[in-house]
Amino acid sequence: MAQSPKSPSAQAKFNYDQNKDDSSFWEKFSTLGRKKKIKEVQEVQEEGKYAIDSPGKPNAPEIPPEDYNLEDNEQRSIIQPQCLNQPNVRDLLQVLTDWMNDELVEERIIVTNIEQDLYDGQVLHKLWEKLTGNTLNVLEVTQSEEGQKQKLSVVLNAVNHTLGFHHTNPKWTVESVHSKNVVAILHLLVALVRHFRAPIRLPENVSVTTVIVKKSGPKLTAEKFEEQITAVYEDVGMRCERDAFDTLFDHAPEKLQVVKKSLVTFVNKHLNKLNFEVVDLGSDFRDGVYLCLLMGLLGGFFVPLHEFHLTPRDNEQMIHNVAFSFDLMQDVGLAKPKARPEDIVNMDLKSTLRCLYNLFTKYRNIA
Amino acid sequence: MEDIFYWCRENNTIQVRLWLDDTESDFNKGDDHGFSPLHWSAKEGHTKIVEMLLSRGARVNATNMGEDIPLHLAAAHGHLDVVLMLIKAKSDINAQNEHGCTPLHYACFWGYQHIAEELVNHGALVSLANKDGDTPLDKAKALLAKRLHDLAIESGQELKKISIKDNNWLGLKTRSRDATLSRYKGINIEDLKLHTKVSISPSGETWRGRWQNNDVIAKILAIREILPRISRDFNEEFPKLRIFSHPNILPLIGACNSPKHLVTISQYMPRGSLYDLLHSAAGIVVDTAQAVRFAIDIAKGMAYLHSLERIIPEYFLNSFHVMIDEDLTARINMGDCKFSFQERGRIYNPAWMAPETLQRKRVDRNWEACDMWSFAIVMWELMTREIPFDDLSPMECGMKIATEGLRVQIPPGSSAHLAKLIKICMNEEAGKRPRFDMVIPILDKMGSKF
Repeated sequence: MAQSPKSPSAQAKFNYDQNKDDSSFWEKFSTLGRKKKIKEVQEVQEEGKYAIDSPGKPNAPEIPPEDYNLEDNEQRSIIQPQCLNQPNVRDLLQVLTDWMNDELVEERIIVTNIEQDLYDGQVLHKLWEKLTGNTLNVLEVTQSEEGQKQKLSVVLNAVNHTLGFHHTNPKWTVESVHSKNVVAILHLLVALVRHFRAPIRLPENVSVTTVIVKKSGPKLTAEKFEEQITAVYEDVGMRCERDAFDTLFDHAPEKLQVVKKSLVTFVNKHLNKLNFEVVDLGSDFRDGVYLCLLMGLLGGFFVPLHEFHLTPRDNEQMIHNVAFSFDLMQDVGLAKPKARPEDIVNMDLKSTLRCLYNLFTKYRNIA
Repeated sequence: MEDIFYWCRENNTIQVRLWLDDTESDFNKGDDHGFSPLHWSAKEGHTKIVEMLLSRGARVNATNMGEDIPLHLAAAHGHLDVVLMLIKAKSDINAQNEHGCTPLHYACFWGYQHIAEELVNHGALVSLANKDGDTPLDKAKALLAKRLHDLAIESGQELKKISIKDNNWLGLKTRSRDATLSRYKGINIEDLKLHTKVSISPSGETWRGRWQNNDVIAKILAIREILPRISRDFNEEFPKLRIFSHPNILPLIGACNSPKHLVTISQYMPRGSLYDLLHSAAGIVVDTAQAVRFAIDIAKGMAYLHSLERIIPEYFLNSFHVMIDEDLTARINMGDCKFSFQERGRIYNPAWMAPETLQRKRVDRNWEACDMWSFAIVMWELMTREIPFDDLSPMECGMKIATEGLRVQIPPGSSAHLAKLIKICMNEEAGKRPRFDMVIPILDKMGSKF
């Protein structure tokens, strides 16, 4: 864990980046003497913070025998280290770390390594509290291994309860998480992301190779397994009250095609005036540009080009565009969209359809 | 009481100048008897102040409660130089007061021979009867009457008695404004008697109403939610629009800042906007001379706005945002400025805007030059009597102007001078466009041909 929050990525700051120069400005402002004092204070603060936040257990180079000694008939799964370097696995790790860091900005917690930063339950504790809005009565910091495990067990209990594991067993245990088993930790995080509909898009169909080692008698056997971590997700949008679109998706896929077709016709009727054409409803709206243009066409105004990014370069700019179009929708009297800007950017079809349908009902009759 | 009327009476030029420099000072307002500052200074013969007021555009034909215009008072009190100044400033030389008397009646009655002669030389009718049936000549002593009679014949006047046409002029007179108009900026929403809804636009609802016996226009701003920040910004921004100090600017009189509504109050202009006048059947013929006069008015108003050393909420010049006063003066409507929290990200009239206005933030462009571009489009509109890019929706129009080089076309057969001026004013390079104070003399020269 590091000391100070790094710049919160995308989600939090997409709107207001004018404050970013503040610290440097004040540095310049102070006199040299004061600058030196500020430095000193900062150093002491960082040291103190490190003392508090640093892992209770130093990464001892030697591993005690109980970690690799296997009892008879015991089996253990170990991730094949090379597969952590596969591009999609690295993507997944990055997306998950960014997400945790976004969520934990206010806690001044920074996760740098999923393996090393989650095993003691500290980060999980804060993450769970942030996501659920509840508080969990456990010690903030524990130094002993015993204490860590105890805390982790309380935290995982709460997590499992939230995720709805009452009769089935999750793919993680106190032991596996505490022993820094990446596979278990990944399963846990992915489950959290899915449950809370985090505003991110996970790489799909990621799997890792694990080796299962089993001891029977004096013999050690090893078997390789492909373990799937993520699947294909239709639904990444924010959870909201069930509406016609849920029914449509669940029960009438053939009608869904009809709805999609009429929405494409509707948006193209207007976008064609600017020589644009939508082909795929799921992906063509993700950068928010068409949404902004469409709002202008339907609402009878021009959207000044400095208000949005006509050719967005990254997620942050796309999110800004979509959020801006949401603003315009509310300004012209439409209901607040039942989606987060991130859902559109993450190509959640249901969110995009809801949003367009909202426009369609208000503006279907304008030429 | 020491006020502007007192200073005008007492010839306190320094105080008057200081007062005039305050943009919130309305020099067309009148005192309890409807005497405007110009009335007082004309009556007392303070030429310096009269000159100052006239140069700033005070209304020369404003009437007091007795229907006198300043020229009546100057003539009745024998101030020849003031009379000449007022005549030069296009005073209505045959204006009749409540008794039907013209300035010439008074000059004759009081025996100011020079003044009477000048009046007659400038077209004052010697045979216009007042309500008692007396003409100026009846009021003059024999010698003067004879002299004026001869002058009138020299200049070809019919000497048949013209009887008073009562009510004929009632609709045309301009009263000095109610002095209370500019007195309060914070207005209680309950004091507004709103009676007729005029229109609903994306910026809000417009109502006609009465406030302190004045016809006003109240605009209830369409704001999604009045957050404390918005209410605070509103309080900070609207007083900047209370610009009473220029004849070609229509000030915001005041505003209501209630928890539920933000309302701006302006004076009611029965003729409506320039857009209404040009593009709907308003019954007013806008000939080229009138068009040039409008253009001069707008340029003067804009030049004054640009000369103010302060930033006012953003004003986008177009024919919707120019109001036409009863005397056909065009006035830049401060009520159409956009507050910082208003219509963010929505431009409803891109056709009048420079390409850079559509693309860049206000701080990132030369907004004075952008106003000049909009002025060129308004002149084009005055020249062609057409609505620019009428066939395109705002979004299409804006995209084409900003990214595809769509520009207004000057139809063949248009006035070559005006066409040339339009081209200069909408130079593609913002830095090469003229300033408004440079355009005014050019327009003046054009106007003098009519």
